[in-house]
Amino acid sequence: MKNQKTRRPGEVVFNAVLFAFSLFIFWQAYGISGFSSLSSAGTFPLAMSGIMIVTAASVLFRSMRLSVPQGGFAAFRREVLPPVVLIFSLFILAYSMAMKSLGFLAASFVFLLASIWFLERGRFSRALLLSIVSIVGVYIVFRLIFQVVLPEGIIPERAIAAAIGDFLKGGAKP
Amino acid sequence: MIDAFSYLFMSWLQPELLALTAIGTCAGIYIGAIPGLSVTMAVSILISFTFGWQVNHALALMNGIFMGGVYGGSRTAILLNIPGAPAAIATALDGYPLAKKGEAGNAIGLSTVMSVLGGFIGIIVLALAAPTVSEFAIKFQPRDYMLLAVMGILLVGSLSGESLAKGIFAGALGMLLGTVGLDPMTAEQRFTFGSVELMNGISPVALMIGLFGVSEALNQLHSLHLPAIRQRVDKIIPSLADVKKYLPLSLQTSAIGVFIGALPGTGGDIAALMAYDHAKRVTKEPEVPFGEGAKEGLVAPETANNAAVGGAYIPMLTLGIPGDAVTAIIIGALFIHGLNPGPLLLVQKPDMFWFTVGNLTLANIFLLIFGLTGIRIFTRIIECPKGVLLPLILLLSVVGAYSINNSVSDVWWMLGFGVLGYFMKFYGYQVGPVVLGIILSRLMDDNWRRAIISERDSVSDFFFNMLASPLSATLFAAIVLILISQTPFWKKFRAGGSAVPKNG
Amino acid sequence: MIGKLMGAAAALALLVGVASAGDFPDRDIQGIIQWGAGGSTDLVMRSVSPEAEKVLGRSIIMTNKTGGVGAIATQFVASQPADGYTLLMSAENPQLYKVMGLSNLDYGDFYPVNVLARGVPVLVANNDAPFNTIKELVDYVQANPGAVRMGSTGPGGLPSVVGGMLAAETDFKVTAVPFDGDGPALTAMQGGAVDFMPAVLGVAAEHVKAGRIKVLGIIDEEASPILPDAKPITADYPEFKKYLPWGPFFGVFVKRDTPDDVKAKLVEAFKAGAEKADFQKLLSDRGYVLLNISGDEADAFLRKWQSTTAWVVYDAGIAKKSPEEFGIAKP
Repeated sequence: MKNQKTRRPGEVVFNAVLFAFSLFIFWQAYGISGFSSLSSAGTFPLAMSGIMIVTAASVLFRSMRLSVPQGGFAAFRREVLPPVVLIFSLFILAYSMAMKSLGFLAASFVFLLASIWFLERGRFSRALLLSIVSIVGVYIVFRLIFQVVLPEGIIPERAIAAAIGDFLKGGAKP
Repeated sequence: MIDAFSYLFMSWLQPELLALTAIGTCAGIYIGAIPGLSVTMAVSILISFTFGWQVNHALALMNGIFMGGVYGGSRTAILLNIPGAPAAIATALDGYPLAKKGEAGNAIGLSTVMSVLGGFIGIIVLALAAPTVSEFAIKFQPRDYMLLAVMGILLVGSLSGESLAKGIFAGALGMLLGTVGLDPMTAEQRFTFGSVELMNGISPVALMIGLFGVSEALNQLHSLHLPAIRQRVDKIIPSLADVKKYLPLSLQTSAIGVFIGALPGTGGDIAALMAYDHAKRVTKEPEVPFGEGAKEGLVAPETANNAAVGGAYIPMLTLGIPGDAVTAIIIGALFIHGLNPGPLLLVQKPDMFWFTVGNLTLANIFLLIFGLTGIRIFTRIIECPKGVLLPLILLLSVVGAYSINNSVSDVWWMLGFGVLGYFMKFYGYQVGPVVLGIILSRLMDDNWRRAIISERDSVSDFFFNMLASPLSATLFAAIVLILISQTPFWKKFRAGGSAVPKNG
Repeated sequence: MIGKLMGAAAALALLVGVASAGDFPDRDIQGIIQWGAGGSTDLVMRSVSPEAEKVLGRSIIMTNKTGGVGAIATQFVASQPADGYTLLMSAENPQLYKVMGLSNLDYGDFYPVNVLARGVPVLVANNDAPFNTIKELVDYVQANPGAVRMGSTGPGGLPSVVGGMLAAETDFKVTAVPFDGDGPALTAMQGGAVDFMPAVLGVAAEHVKAGRIKVLGIIDEEASPILPDAKPITADYPEFKKYLPWGPFFGVFVKRDTPDDVKAKLVEAFKAGAEKADFQKLLSDRGYVLLNISGDEADAFLRKWQSTTAWVVYDAGIAKKSPEEFGIAKP
């Protein structure tokens, strides 16, 4: 266990956010059933958020006593959120937002292609190949074998799959 | 007796059953390894799929998948820090640090052998003591389940890392997250903010994938252009000396696994966590500290979760009561195949019992074979460039989170917790207690309320009856002892007594 | 290049769509099961579907979407297009969503493709409990108000409704201890955590036959062939006739405004599934009564069920809102 002398950049802010969150959750937990009885639905959440408040306060207090880190916001940017983490996180965010509208297949393909291309710096053809292979693999395992119906979006894969199925059966439809 | 014998070896001798068991076990390993694909899901799909089959054929496939799946979760836990299933959470705690040191092959080899060992112990207990164990298991009352949950929570103490306060905070946060959603006991909504999507609560698997996997992937971006760690692949199969060394511990953790597995209210995930806690308490001098790649931290959960498989069959085959989620579905499958799984099954169709025992043994042998082959290829996964690996991990996490309940909101939770976990780790909070908390949350909350409702809200009656029941009193005493043994006073006393010089 | 690929795919899909318009189903159908894998609803649906798939000529991909006593699955199906490609495979619960304040939906928003079967409730007790019949139970509870512990599955579940009926007809004060389902509650009863509980016949029968628990009586007008010794409740309490027959049920539903030819095709498919001998044996072995009704007949059944149950839970003080608010008639 290291004995920490200076706090990490942004530490007080993070601890303060957790403390504020605990207070908010305690208030919400109180709203479930107040202090009505030991067997009510709100008892356990109240107890847990109470523990969160006490521990978060102690952590916050302790971190405030540590000396201020060097470098200010620049250090935070360098150590906690370097550009590559920030950009990749934005990719992920865009991906998950696009999943419902574009559908799983299209969104995942674009995400993989873009992020492999970005992280590997260039070599587009390799990124393209890897993305196609992985998407096909995931589709076979999850959609075909495990019958997880992934968000369909703009590619009507159920219809395509049905068409291919019919075609393989020689067009013989019952 | 002759009959029992012939059923015991039925699946060994009929080529079709043999093949189905092999296929099941092999598929199970991969199902277990992929986060989001679960044994429960696979087995329930098989119910429709095997509708027209003979019951033994269907069972052979399901048994194989169950055995393989419970083990398979350790693969991704060790290689990518994403436990393939909740039962492998504890495996990630020491398995992933081993992979970071280039010992992934060794870790997988050890976990395979230990899983098989645990599996065998589970089966032996199932074969020899099933009726006794199940009679004892159903004696557990809500109050006893609550005490078990408290015992599990004590693990927070050893998962806390640099600061106990931060560990307790994380544990309480996990417990609280476990209460989100429509409360099944009162139909009251807790922390749903009026949203229907939130009524289902936060999936522990989504939380686990986010906190462990995604946050680690984000963390890895910091060292994007460092070369990947070369994995040593020369020492995959653990030496006999190694196995011998861990044998006493693995017998204890297997026993924990069988019993927790046999309890109708708990399964392999809790078994593995409690075994990890046990290992941490009884191992005096680990070669490497726990959490940094201690082999004991790998042995304990892996033996326990596979031993829990045999355990889960105990109440199922003797009383028709499922020992966990998977056996609940297998009971359903038996119904569909025209059997009546219940307390009379053992009397009316003893062949089912012996068939299952024999078949599980077979699956366990296949587990050893399939588990020890192909490790080299698996370890290659983490040697591929991070620029390719990290996007793929993200893709797998997203599909995995979505598959749990076919819901996009689980994907959002997973990603949100990924970001939270990234910050938590940076500021010295451990994510382990959060996952522990969400897993134990309902066990604790629901059983506390059941217990106190039964006492009509009287705390004094609650304590009086707890101390009056031998079972509850024993559990309570164990908790008190564990707590005392973790206080600084006791540690000093122990250190002074044994006077072992400690360097570190 | 990607654009071209997508264009080609879209064109292909369009072609397929045109070629088979009016020819339902032209692709796989999704069945949303509102309860978890291994539960009664799940089992019934997974065993009725293989035969229905044969008639439809397409797979029914079954997906468990649990949570919110099934409200999440119900909401999901309601949000899908009314084209018959998304089925709701569910139990009785949606009929209580309105009074429980869980959702604004109920089976009025769906068309019953097939209400497959109904379960029969029984009252079972721990072997050591000091009562052997429903009458003895009621007398004992009246002598010791609040001291008897009843296994329950949460408000709106079968035990709470049966408990509500008993409370409405007799002076019946018990302590209800809620569990995650009737299976876990029965297990807890064997360990002595609760004294008695109302449960579905099929779930309790095997334990009764093995002598691990005892049956006090059956909440129906006639005894069941599965447990012939269980005395009907109407023998001692004829006033219960007005609630009966009552029990949980399972059904397959589509959105109400689905085209009629699609509805007809689905009705035909699930009728075939429900008429299969294997399926009927499975139901009767578990003590379920086959209904196999659809359309108007099913609607009438659903309305009667809703009016009986909603008022029972409201009078028992479990419901959050009055059935009157939603125009649910008093029985």
